[in-house]
Amino acid sequence: MIRLLRFSAFNLALGYIALSIAVLTLFATPLGMAWREGIDEARSAYLQQDVQRLTDIFGRQGVQGLIAAVDRYLDMPFVPERTILFADAALSRIAGNLAAWPSELPASPGTHELSIDRGGSLMQVVVIHAILPGGNHLLLGREISRFRKLEILFRYGFAGAAVAILLLGWLGGTLIRHVLLSEVQGVSQTASAIVEGDLSRRLPTNGGRDELDMLAQTVNRMLDQIEQLVHGVRNVSNAIAHDLRTPLAELRSRLEELSVTRPSPGETFAEIETAVADVDRVIGIFNALLRLAEIDTGARRSGFVQVDAAKIASEAAEFYQPVAELKWVTLTFASSGDLTAAGDPLLLAQAIGNLIDNALKYAQERGTIAVQAIRRPDGAIEVSVSDDGPGIPDDEKPKVTTRFYRGDASRGTPGVGLGLSLVAAVAKLHGGVLELTDNHPGLRATLLMFPANIRT
Amino acid sequence: MKILCVEDNERVARFVKKGLVEAGHTVDHADNGRDGMFLAASEPYDVIIMDRMLPGNIDGLGIIEAVRKAGNKTPILILSALSDVDDRIRGLKSGGDDYLVKPFAFGELLARLDALVRRSQESTAETTLVVDDLSLNLVTRKVTRAGQTVVLQPREFKLLEYLMRHANQVVTRTMLLENVWDYHFDPRTNVIDVHVSKLRQKIDAGSERPLLRTIRNAGYMLTADD
Repeated sequence: MIRLLRFSAFNLALGYIALSIAVLTLFATPLGMAWREGIDEARSAYLQQDVQRLTDIFGRQGVQGLIAAVDRYLDMPFVPERTILFADAALSRIAGNLAAWPSELPASPGTHELSIDRGGSLMQVVVIHAILPGGNHLLLGREISRFRKLEILFRYGFAGAAVAILLLGWLGGTLIRHVLLSEVQGVSQTASAIVEGDLSRRLPTNGGRDELDMLAQTVNRMLDQIEQLVHGVRNVSNAIAHDLRTPLAELRSRLEELSVTRPSPGETFAEIETAVADVDRVIGIFNALLRLAEIDTGARRSGFVQVDAAKIASEAAEFYQPVAELKWVTLTFASSGDLTAAGDPLLLAQAIGNLIDNALKYAQERGTIAVQAIRRPDGAIEVSVSDDGPGIPDDEKPKVTTRFYRGDASRGTPGVGLGLSLVAAVAKLHGGVLELTDNHPGLRATLLMFPANIRT
Repeated sequence: MKILCVEDNERVARFVKKGLVEAGHTVDHADNGRDGMFLAASEPYDVIIMDRMLPGNIDGLGIIEAVRKAGNKTPILILSALSDVDDRIRGLKSGGDDYLVKPFAFGELLARLDALVRRSQESTAETTLVVDDLSLNLVTRKVTRAGQTVVLQPREFKLLEYLMRHANQVVTRTMLLENVWDYHFDPRTNVIDVHVSKLRQKIDAGSERPLLRTIRNAGYMLTADD
């Protein structure tokens, strides 16, 4: 029972039972009371009338008249359930069907309920005790057990209904619990499998629109996101292990060599400076990773304000302009329409800057880079950076936004392979994506912001 | 300058203190929040270096808020291992004047301290900045070198204005990036150097005495001294 109480289905059923019984009681109690009150009143009213009639006879015809009236009264057909006793001032019997004045009856006149012994059988009666003029006593009673049967029937009916509700509630609770339990067991089995590391498991759904199915669908979407994040973390850990180990290994061997060979102070200081540069490189990777993590958690949405994407893009283009000039690359900027939307100005500037920086790395000598900001008909804001460099082969395109991925073409150029991942993460934060397409020749990188997709 | 350094990491504190003393400054050091709070409230300092996370029941931001509430306007530089943009904003909102993320280069710290102290002493009513024979008018936005007008792009003007406001001080690349472009990320290429060399061509071209110097391993300095 205690165990059953812990199930929500049973609590529900118990609550339902309690409510039903309360309603039944509320319905039956006034009914029973009214019924009983009605019968009692009618009964005492009849008795009262009889008492009045006999008192009148006593007034007109005296003791003898009343004795005769009592005898006539006793001859009537309903007498078995009636009690009548006429007694003198000392409560000694004068006439009636009682052998003696009932000792437990209070001396005062009025209506009383008591059980009396009449002819050897005990009966429950309601009596009216009246004191007649001259000090004589009259007791008139009526058996009440006649209605007892009906009352008992009523009580049994009530109890029966309560038991039926109880049983039905119990049955319902068991059924609901059974159904819920089988559903919940599916969920908990899947959850256990996931806890044990099988992230590919999903809750069973039947495509229905009931509450449990909708919950299962939501949980499945959550699991998709978690799986993606976990895979991301795994990939990143592998990549960190690989990419941080290289500069750290270099740094370590440099320092170890110093401590072993102990070269001249001048050489030592030169080596230390290189070591500091190595450390700075590691710190740079860490900072980039931390920034990515910060964006991925979505926490940066708190920094969202109304931004003008055109202004940010044109400032970024202007920022890189002198570098382009050094390489004899033509860097152009064009925008059209109103490009304001909610966004993070710092991150957008960094993302667009990364795209331009990438384009500058790969653009041909005397080539061109075009930065363009427009609003698409579907409401998305599109900032694209197109270059005329070697581009990215189609099979490498999905990989370049992976953290630490460096394509063949990028070997020998500075960078740690986090630039495009950051752009992709920033685009995602703004409800969009990073699209890489062919510019024939070259690469066209498009940062899409979709303000309508952002749920805050 | 008299500098208070509140920093619980012994190694970092020693490194900072040694460098600052060598640069000719007086340094008081507190290694917990309570002592730091006491010193900041009772002694006059030119600038305070405040670590964010400190032992002693009160963190760096708490001290800064308390100090500012008491009406103390000493410039404060926050040192922190927390690099999130939000952390930075929170730090500056609490009343800090600059935010430097650990690990940092000592040159960066020194340059920023100088800039903070300069800023707090600077009179805002100035309309013309002058370094040697280079002058920049903030109202007419006219720049002249030895009487010759120098034509600058708006961003170049801003860059020169920042360098002139911090004349005779080392200004790091990060400081330029943050204050001239308002960018708070590493642009990964030498963009700043290219901007500075373009500016240098305009103001120092053909001059006997170049004013805009490159300081090795640190940044730049605009100065007439040799």
